Amino acid sequence: MSFEIKKAAVLGAGVMGAGIAAHLTNAGIECYLLDIIPFELTEDDKKKGLTEKSPAWRNRFAANGLAGVTKSKPASFYSKANASMITIGNFEDDLNLLADCDWVCEAVVENLKIKQELFARVEKVVKPTCIISTNTSGLPIKDISAKFSANLKKHFLGTHFFNPPRYMKLMEIIPGADTDKTVVEYMAKFSEEVLGKGVVICKDVPNFVGNRVGVYDLCNAGRIMIEKGMSIEEVDAIVGKAVGRPGTAIFGTIDLVGIDIGTHVAQNLYDAVPDDECRDTFAPTEFAKKMIANKWLGNKTKGGYYKKVKDENGKNVKYAINWKTVEYAVAQKPKFASISEAKKWADSGVAVSMKIAFNGDDAAGDYLREYMCNNFIYAANRIPEICDTIVEIDNAMKWGYNHQLGPFESWDAIGVKEAVEVMKKLGKKVPAKIEEMLAKGCASFYRKEKDGSKSYYDFKKKGYVKLKENPKIIILPELKERKKVVKENAAASLVDIGDGVACLEFHTKMNSVNADMIQMISDSCDIVNKDFWGMVVANHDQRMFSAGADIFAVICAISEKQWTELEKMVAGLQNANMKMKYLPKPVVTAPAGMALGGGCEMAMHGDYCLANGETYIGLVEVGVGVIPAGGGCKELALRMTEGIPAGVVESGLNMQYHYGKAFENIATAKVATSAQEAQELGFIRKGSIINMNRDMQIYEAKQIVLGMSKFYKPPKPALIPVMGENLRGVAAAIIANMKAGRYASEYDAHIAMKIAHVLGGGICHEGTFVTEQEILDLEREAFMSLCGEQKTQDRISAMLSTGKPLRN
Amino acid sequence: MSEAVIVASVRSAGARYRRGGLSETRADVFAVQVIKGLLAKVPRLDPNDIDDLIVGCAFPEAECGMNLGRVLAVGAGLPEPVSGMTVNRFCSSGVQSIADATAKIRAGWSEVIIAGGVESMTHIPMGGGIFRPDPDWNFAAMPNVYINMGNTAENVAANHGVSREDMDKFGMESNRRAYEAIKAGKFKEEIIPVTAYKYKKDKNGKRIRTEFIFDTDDGVRWPVNLQDMGKLKSPFKQGGNVTAANSSQMTDGAAFSLVMSAEKAKALGVKPIAKLTHYAVAGCKPEEMGVGPRYAIPKALKLAGLTTKDIELFEINEAFASQALYCIRELGLEDRLNAGDINPNGGAIALGHPLGCTGAKLTAQLLHEMKRRGNKRGIVAMCIGGGMGAAAIFEML
Repeated sequence: MSFEIKKAAVLGAGVMGAGIAAHLTNAGIECYLLDIIPFELTEDDKKKGLTEKSPAWRNRFAANGLAGVTKSKPASFYSKANASMITIGNFEDDLNLLADCDWVCEAVVENLKIKQELFARVEKVVKPTCIISTNTSGLPIKDISAKFSANLKKHFLGTHFFNPPRYMKLMEIIPGADTDKTVVEYMAKFSEEVLGKGVVICKDVPNFVGNRVGVYDLCNAGRIMIEKGMSIEEVDAIVGKAVGRPGTAIFGTIDLVGIDIGTHVAQNLYDAVPDDECRDTFAPTEFAKKMIANKWLGNKTKGGYYKKVKDENGKNVKYAINWKTVEYAVAQKPKFASISEAKKWADSGVAVSMKIAFNGDDAAGDYLREYMCNNFIYAANRIPEICDTIVEIDNAMKWGYNHQLGPFESWDAIGVKEAVEVMKKLGKKVPAKIEEMLAKGCASFYRKEKDGSKSYYDFKKKGYVKLKENPKIIILPELKERKKVVKENAAASLVDIGDGVACLEFHTKMNSVNADMIQMISDSCDIVNKDFWGMVVANHDQRMFSAGADIFAVICAISEKQWTELEKMVAGLQNANMKMKYLPKPVVTAPAGMALGGGCEMAMHGDYCLANGETYIGLVEVGVGVIPAGGGCKELALRMTEGIPAGVVESGLNMQYHYGKAFENIATAKVATSAQEAQELGFIRKGSIINMNRDMQIYEAKQIVLGMSKFYKPPKPALIPVMGENLRGVAAAIIANMKAGRYASEYDAHIAMKIAHVLGGGICHEGTFVTEQEILDLEREAFMSLCGEQKTQDRISAMLSTGKPLRN
Repeated sequence: MSEAVIVASVRSAGARYRRGGLSETRADVFAVQVIKGLLAKVPRLDPNDIDDLIVGCAFPEAECGMNLGRVLAVGAGLPEPVSGMTVNRFCSSGVQSIADATAKIRAGWSEVIIAGGVESMTHIPMGGGIFRPDPDWNFAAMPNVYINMGNTAENVAANHGVSREDMDKFGMESNRRAYEAIKAGKFKEEIIPVTAYKYKKDKNGKRIRTEFIFDTDDGVRWPVNLQDMGKLKSPFKQGGNVTAANSSQMTDGAAFSLVMSAEKAKALGVKPIAKLTHYAVAGCKPEEMGVGPRYAIPKALKLAGLTTKDIELFEINEAFASQALYCIRELGLEDRLNAGDINPNGGAIALGHPLGCTGAKLTAQLLHEMKRRGNKRGIVAMCIGGGMGAAAIFEML
């Protein structure tokens, strides 16, 4: 059987259902979003003239779900425009729409009978090859599908998204006993490649993998807190970034999810796993029950374990629950020597800081040892109950709970043997399979092989098994170990990624652009031109493609009055970017995460930009008192005006709106919140494909290079139509209003006028066509002039010391 | 000198910006209907006797471009000899055209003129489609003629101490009065219903143009409460006080009056309603353009040898509550406001301010209200972008 999902339907328009529908549109899939009809007409409805026949009333739940997801923060859609790809409806009038769907994903209330009845109706309308899934997080797949026909059973499985579906990488796929293997394989591939998810195949057991281990983790943290008489602020200070956990730690995370939901899931688990050795851990705590009774449910009720209250001066004050009294008190900021020490090692990686924290000889260390050992033992005991290998559990915790390391990776970081010794000291029962593994001389769960590949310890096979490599996942560090580096320096490397394509990778702190990096861009162009079909520009940094220019180097040059050197550096970046653009071989830039300032400029100077969906890109230079001078102004001007047919500018085209957007983007330091928004703002060309799965981005970029290389011609030198001095007039009037309204400072206005001068193409008439070099020269001149100003220097210094832009 | 008299004065209903009844209808299309409606009120007039059509428009471009005056004259089916011109003094354009028509007739250069104003703020942006301020304008040293109107209102509020609470109360009262006036059917006589259209999809998804009759001002917000109004933020200034609730609405609309010599009216046997006796404009700081009426009203009164006590009814355009209140207070008219002698049926905050149409629209409103009340004298006044004020004194006949 072969499948292709082009159109889908989501049944149930709650937070999850609507979020799934939104993410489907991000992936380019049109979908229906259906829900039940409201129970009755309210007085308000009647006043508005609604009847039981009004679509506005019948589709209300779906409409509300769509409205909610359109307004959600963080945004569920890559662009609000995607909302038009969702058609809303209700189960009574619109179920027949499912006839043309390739996938129907159910996300209605967690009630077995309701789900069963709905699926019985769904089966009557869908085509026989339609894939049907449930997003249940608590009900067994086998119970839901018990009365299904044989064909439906073949096409039915669990597809469990994590909330919010756009941002959480984990997708648990739960095949039923009768699910066709090809359906499972297709959905796994579809989830990875089209939706960009990380797939964990689970067994049909309560809460599957992520929420079984994850809920234990949270409950475990709470139990130990009670035992040790600690506060929630203390626990969150301990189980935070030092041990590779999100900033929300334990209780902040529960506030995010909702205390009611968290408690409900734990209670479900308690009921469903009578034989679990840690079952008691899942029983709701007294204070959680009281908080639910008080309706203090977390962020959604503006108060959970934490809440923010404005004091008389309008300043936010954070309060935390004292779990012993269930009363709020001003949140403390507990400090632990071991955690502070661990944080100092953050740059060396989470494995190092975690080990330091684990071995701390203070209350934090005591807590962590108890907490982590419990987690390790619980995870080890779940195999093979919930999945077959350690890999699924580690992935589930990383992708579904944002842990930087899963339990087995964490255990490796601390040392398997070392942790086992601690367990024994604490009087814990070490799982036999761990003792057995150590006895065999296997000292870690994961092992790096000589050829750069990775293996994991398999409890069943009692030895190491090679991790399955996906040819679509190119991992630069592994290639580097395999001696694939073509050239490198401290800032960047050119790596041979096979098939005649090279990848330029940045690796400075925050991938900031410095002289070394500029040199590598230039050198890489020369090498690629000679020896490769083309080049990909990408890296694996979790957070950023590049945060922009190394402003420390800029402020040093300024303070030593090395003006010539500074201008040379700016010209260097311009020239390197132009070299990439006009290289006789194709260059595909592949940003993901932040691509700011110089990072944005580099991303704009490829032939094609294959951005990951989660790309936050923009020209933010005004924040440090300068303007984009690596070709950013030039390239944005070009993109805003390309596509204007010949003769139209000459006929008097009003380019005020084209340049108004360019000016606004730069003067207000606009950052796109997705690759799609980046296309709308003009940083990325419209119609560019968006990469959904970050792991596959380099592979996909490489395919584009290879495709283009077959018949590649570099672009022709561009001539850019500009507004000349008239743009300055428009900008001055806008800025005068912004200044009057206190939206812009005197110095903001000064910088903005420089931007208008550069984007306008300097001193010329409206409608003049200028060369790229002319704008580059204007960029450089404006940049240098701003660097000479005290207020720009103050802005740079402030950014370096506080990390925040100064508005002076 | 011959006397110029107004024999009919009408308007379209005011339509909310973008969401209102005229948002998809071309301005020339609804303006022509108002002109036809105006002429229908004076059936004895032979169109061949009309000399000129003067239309005020603040942004005369796109559908309001190409000399809108002539376009409307021809578009309304008037005979070829009827000429047309467009005048622009921003927000007083609509009454400027009536004043110009009056002056021409008094000079004996014309006998019958159609005068009024048109604006589609939905279709033509403020500032115009092609906004090109002088790049060498010295904003530090020279008055800012390009300034955004909201900023000027913030300036008036801040520099002259008009409080947020007073502005919001003023905005609320404007809406209340407008709501009551519409409910009482007060505008029925002055409004010419127009056939407007919107674009929709039919049952088969085919895009179609659907027509409907638009005959009621659709921007009034009632009930409103001060608490909600107080929560609104200023879009113009950080921490500012000028908000959507205490500013005029952006509006589409058209309004026209028929002006002719007294002799012509007599010959036709048409009863004149009123005459525009005096008209004055006065400049002020562009950054505080809202104070304009405070100077223009005394200037016009001086021309007439009158004081505010001689004026029984005022229509003072509510561009912003801050400037309207300031002017009313400076002129010592706050009691008159509370007594209902100023904007008795609500103002632009509720009924809208279609820029170039406003002067003609307020004229129609003033004359019909004076007729209802049996008043003798009234004033139409407004502030003007760029820093001006205008005031016209009308006398009922």
